[in-house]
Amino acid sequence: MLDLLRHNNFLYPMIVFDKVSKSYPLGNTALQDVSFEIENNEFVFLVGTSGAGKTTILKLILRDLIPSAGSVVVDDFNVSAHNFRHIESLRKTIGFVFQDFKVLPEKNIYENIAVGLLVMGASKHAIKEKVRDSLEMVGLLEKERVFPIQLSAGELQRVAIARAICGNRKIIVADEPTGNLDPKTTWDIMKIFRKLEGKKTLIIATHNTDIVNSLKKRVLVLKSGRLIKDIRKGGYEL
Amino acid sequence: MKDIFTSLRRTPYQAFATFFALFLTLFLSLTIFLSLSFLYGMLGFVESRPQVTVYFQNQVTESDIQKIKEQLISSNKVNSVKYVSKQEAFTVYKELNKDNPLLLEMVSPDILPASLEIFAKKPEYLPELADYLQKQTGIDEVNFQKNIVEKLLSLTSVVRKVSIGFFAYFIVTTVIILIAITHFKIALKKDEIELLRLLGASKWYVKKPFVNEAMFLGLCSSIAVYVVFLIIFFLTLPSVESYLAGVKLLSIDFGFYILPIWPFNMIFGIIAFLFVSLFGIIISTIATLLATKKYIR
Repeated sequence: MLDLLRHNNFLYPMIVFDKVSKSYPLGNTALQDVSFEIENNEFVFLVGTSGAGKTTILKLILRDLIPSAGSVVVDDFNVSAHNFRHIESLRKTIGFVFQDFKVLPEKNIYENIAVGLLVMGASKHAIKEKVRDSLEMVGLLEKERVFPIQLSAGELQRVAIARAICGNRKIIVADEPTGNLDPKTTWDIMKIFRKLEGKKTLIIATHNTDIVNSLKKRVLVLKSGRLIKDIRKGGYEL
Repeated sequence: MKDIFTSLRRTPYQAFATFFALFLTLFLSLTIFLSLSFLYGMLGFVESRPQVTVYFQNQVTESDIQKIKEQLISSNKVNSVKYVSKQEAFTVYKELNKDNPLLLEMVSPDILPASLEIFAKKPEYLPELADYLQKQTGIDEVNFQKNIVEKLLSLTSVVRKVSIGFFAYFIVTTVIILIAITHFKIALKKDEIELLRLLGASKWYVKKPFVNEAMFLGLCSSIAVYVVFLIIFFLTLPSVESYLAGVKLLSIDFGFYILPIWPFNMIFGIIAFLFVSLFGIIISTIATLLATKKYIR
């Protein structure tokens, strides 16, 4: 079945890590010989304790880091090449959500989301339409003129998700998106991610076992920089 | 424009610091530009006057004077030599004293000497030419403006050298100040820059607001400098006019175009404004590009 889907182009690898290692000049190794493939529109959890290498993988996908060995291919871009010259094009295909939200305090919610479309050169009309769609999806349409200081942590994370999904970005990477949130808000955020399932390639780094075990999605388990398990429709225990 | 004003409102002290650093540099640059223009104009004015005038004794015939003229021309040290006969000298005299009939009555063409008005190729040739003329027979008097031309030449040269020194100093100082200010602004917007880069913004997209703001401040400070200059100029105009009473026109000859400097005119005013505004915009843009190149990776 999987082969049939691949053959008909329904499934193709969106992200390929091939024997990827990342070590830093002072000698600490963040990743060691990690290989995996993530299909287009797949929903994947990256799990592991702090320092296991989750954030390093996300940074390699964003080309915020370059691997010391091996290759990383994202949406057909070989981002591990040292002379890689398409960072802007690559990043325009990726939306990101971080634990610290990364919203701009001096811009209102509408402007915070529009910034992702402005860098793509979208027209004012298109920006207005797409920002509204994104806000509607995350349930913040009535707060578009509000400033970040007036929002709760859960709402701020929803703003970050709205910005990440705005503008036809194919991949969404989220680094501990529920790390600062209470259990109820955490589930609200996960509901939004579930709405994106099958529409975007989702990679969520987390150590929230409840979420991972409940959603039964693919789980990549990392330990001390090594990929120790790749579980389809699985849960995990730390 | 909206983004520029928002940025200025959010970082007013950095904006004022940029504005005043540019204002000072541009004001001094405009002063230097105007001083040099006037000095070159004065030099041109003095050089356009006969540089050596030789008066002949009455007994010297026109053919003897013409021989001396030909020898001067063949020396390759003069641009032109003009023969002024007794009659022509009398005509000039009459023109100069037309309001004084008493002086006109006392003078006839015979009294006035014939003369040669000589324009040298280089001011350095003036003493040599004067020396040569003094050795000729029948010479009554040799006048030459060696001192004025030499003084003006050396003054222009000194002002030019000092100006280049000051210019370089002010450019370097202003660029360093603007780089430091832009660095502050970049540091203030660090999170926004990081976010934009992660969202796929190009380096130029990130740099553009800084460059636009710098160009705007460069233009604003140059307009302010020009307005202040015009106010000072019109306040001091009566004294400048009395100082330059005998000078009807000062200009700089570029070969393909003669630029009138004095009396102050629209063309020179526009050129001065273009100079100061272009200089302001270029210097602020260069400083910002250097800062953004260094601090936005």
